[in-house]
Amino acid sequence: MAQNILQLKKVSKSFAGTVVVGDLNLKVKGGEVFGLLGPNGAGKTTTMRMIMNIIRPDQGEILYNDQPRHKIKNLHFGYLPEERGLYPRATVLEMLVYFGTLNNLSARRAEVEAIRYLDRLGMVEFTDAQINQLSKGMQQKIQFIVAFLHDPDVLILDEPFSGLDPINQIVLREILQEYKQKKKILIISTHQMEQAEQLCDHICLINQSKVILDGQLSRIKKNYRENAFFVESDDSLEFMQEISGISIIEQDNNSCKFTVAEQRLKIPVLFENIQKKAGIKRFEIVEPSLHDIFIRLVQAETEGGK
Amino acid sequence: MKNIFRIARWEFVTRFRSRSFLFNTFISPLLFISVITLPIFFFQYQPEVSTKLIGVIDLSGKNIEKDLQKALNHYYSPENRSREYVVMKVSVNSSGPYREMLSEYKEIKSRRDSIARLYEQIKAQRAAYYKNTKIANREYFLRTSYEKLQNTREEKELTDMELENFKTSLDSVYKFEALKMADSLLITNVLNAYLLFPHEFTKNGIVEYHSKNPGDLRETERFEKILQNIIIEKRMMDDHVEQAKVHKWLSPIYIKKYQLMPQGQKEWDFYAQFYGPLIGVFLLFMAIFTAGGYLFSSILLEKSNRVIEVLLSYANSIQIMGGKILGLGSLGLVQVLIWLLLTALFISSGIIPADKISYLTLSNALYFIIYFSLGFLFYGAIFISVGSLSSNEYDAQQINQLLRTVAVFPVLLSLIVLAEPNSLWIRILSYIPFLTPSFMIMRIPLSSQLITTDIYVTIAIMVISILFVIFVAGRIFRVATLMQGKKASWTEIWRWLKVG
Repeated sequence: MAQNILQLKKVSKSFAGTVVVGDLNLKVKGGEVFGLLGPNGAGKTTTMRMIMNIIRPDQGEILYNDQPRHKIKNLHFGYLPEERGLYPRATVLEMLVYFGTLNNLSARRAEVEAIRYLDRLGMVEFTDAQINQLSKGMQQKIQFIVAFLHDPDVLILDEPFSGLDPINQIVLREILQEYKQKKKILIISTHQMEQAEQLCDHICLINQSKVILDGQLSRIKKNYRENAFFVESDDSLEFMQEISGISIIEQDNNSCKFTVAEQRLKIPVLFENIQKKAGIKRFEIVEPSLHDIFIRLVQAETEGGK
Repeated sequence: MKNIFRIARWEFVTRFRSRSFLFNTFISPLLFISVITLPIFFFQYQPEVSTKLIGVIDLSGKNIEKDLQKALNHYYSPENRSREYVVMKVSVNSSGPYREMLSEYKEIKSRRDSIARLYEQIKAQRAAYYKNTKIANREYFLRTSYEKLQNTREEKELTDMELENFKTSLDSVYKFEALKMADSLLITNVLNAYLLFPHEFTKNGIVEYHSKNPGDLRETERFEKILQNIIIEKRMMDDHVEQAKVHKWLSPIYIKKYQLMPQGQKEWDFYAQFYGPLIGVFLLFMAIFTAGGYLFSSILLEKSNRVIEVLLSYANSIQIMGGKILGLGSLGLVQVLIWLLLTALFISSGIIPADKISYLTLSNALYFIIYFSLGFLFYGAIFISVGSLSSNEYDAQQINQLLRTVAVFPVLLSLIVLAEPNSLWIRILSYIPFLTPSFMIMRIPLSSQLITTDIYVTIAIMVISILFVIFVAGRIFRVATLMQGKKASWTEIWRWLKVG
């Protein structure tokens, strides 16, 4: 099976003269979790709405497997909008069936799938409850089911974890894992960087309607590695201050975080030097967190723009 | 395409089950119909009425109160019920000034009477002298009695004049005292009303009616009718027409009203003919605004709770709009059909007499359905635009209220429509799409002929207007529903309409 690809080519959208998305290029491959990140007002929601065909781009094109988006039926797409909304007076099952049938499922099939998901999310006893009798978290789960009940090929989730307790977060992750295994396209937008770090394979960072970072999460982390190391020992590591060619960032009695300032200094040599004086319990490369990268980039970009 | 029907089904089913649909279909038409028909019942079948005391001040001295009582008994005293009206002559006998004047008047009158008697005596004596030529001193007697006669006549004429003058002032005192009395009786609610008959009322035909509420048309019309008869009768009697002839000539006249309908002559019944179309307009209005209101609240709800975003990602805006219009439009049709069915049921079971709603023909029912559909589409599209533009429910409800007021406006003109359903102004007004359905639903059953041209013209106007408002609604709906918290400016709306 050929790989599923969703592409955005030079997509722009402006509202009342304000550019919300400008010349955006994205390429999302099936089977990877694509994280669309950015500060508020960066244009994430607009981008997702364009992928969902809720609004059309002013310029550029959106292609799924080389076909223009507006020619593809909506039922291949599933969407969890950031602002959740359900029919408050409807019962859980009838509403799920309604949304299922809107995506071409037969009523029977939609019912079966809905009950299956309700069961999986521990909500099967609320099948006939009215939506407005449910708690916020439960409504959130129902909203999820609305997004993937019809087994879409492209699933777009805007802030999926907000308002979910840890147990349900795990269940949701399992479901997303299944999508990933089916090589489907999965786009997640979030503000929670730890979530993105744990979940995403590919990251795209948008700021002020432009892409400022795009690539595999592992590669990005590598690129933004500050050449920093962390060492931990049972013995005192105070001698580290005397080693030339490194600069220490943080240190206490038994651990030390430092960067290698001199290019010539080889890591294995350094490792040996330390080992001679103290027993090493841990020695590792310090990965920058996505959170740090995000802040650093957005700040740089915002300042640069001024 | 299937999504239109799925959305339509959803809208239909969720609303059909709702309590508000039940209320709008059964309770509120019932309430309305009872509210407007109850007065008719009160009007026609008044329960045991309390007897009304009517005062009479008669300055003509024709004993009019007796005639009045007789006529009132005749017309307004149904069998086995107490008399509705009791006539009472307003008495002024207890009034001091009047009594004084009256005794003086009587004195003058007796004086005049004795002079008159004397005059007659002299005349008779003189006649005897003339006839009997054998009386001695006849010449002398004739001459002296002539002088006496002359003097007496002059005295008689003078007393007559005095009496006449005194009578006028006595009358004015009588009138003043009687009015004072009658007013106090009216104020203390002893009298319901009193009638003042001036001296010459048979000649000029003017009678005064005094009451706390002379606006009570029912009462004044009754008195007008009865007095008309009494006065004419009096005038005839004055002209010495035979009593039997008078009665024959004055026997009451009733007008039976017939209306020429396409299917032939039909007896006219004001209440059925007028209230029928009025109830029709109300039901039409109810149907349009029940379904239109659902359309409106549905969009408002989906916009405010953001379901619209999910909905828009699975169905396009045309499907959503189309589905809602189709679903809620069918709901409205179902409502109309329920009403027609219920009416048919009531007729067949005899609860409603069939002749009372003879205007409800199959073709009129069909027109009702046509104008309902047109009105619903027109107002529905406007509701979609307003609903999707509104940033909060309060604003939206105000516009909704405004539209309702506009649509119900023709009911205010219903009496004019009844009098002349096809007058120029009414025709022009019914070409305004906002008013078309309400006006046409009144005009069609009220017109004596089928107003085919107007039906075609209004349907054409409605269809064009509907296409226009749906086009506008489509453009606005697509963009405005995703906006939140912010009010769209007119320039923005204009741009959406141009760009789409």
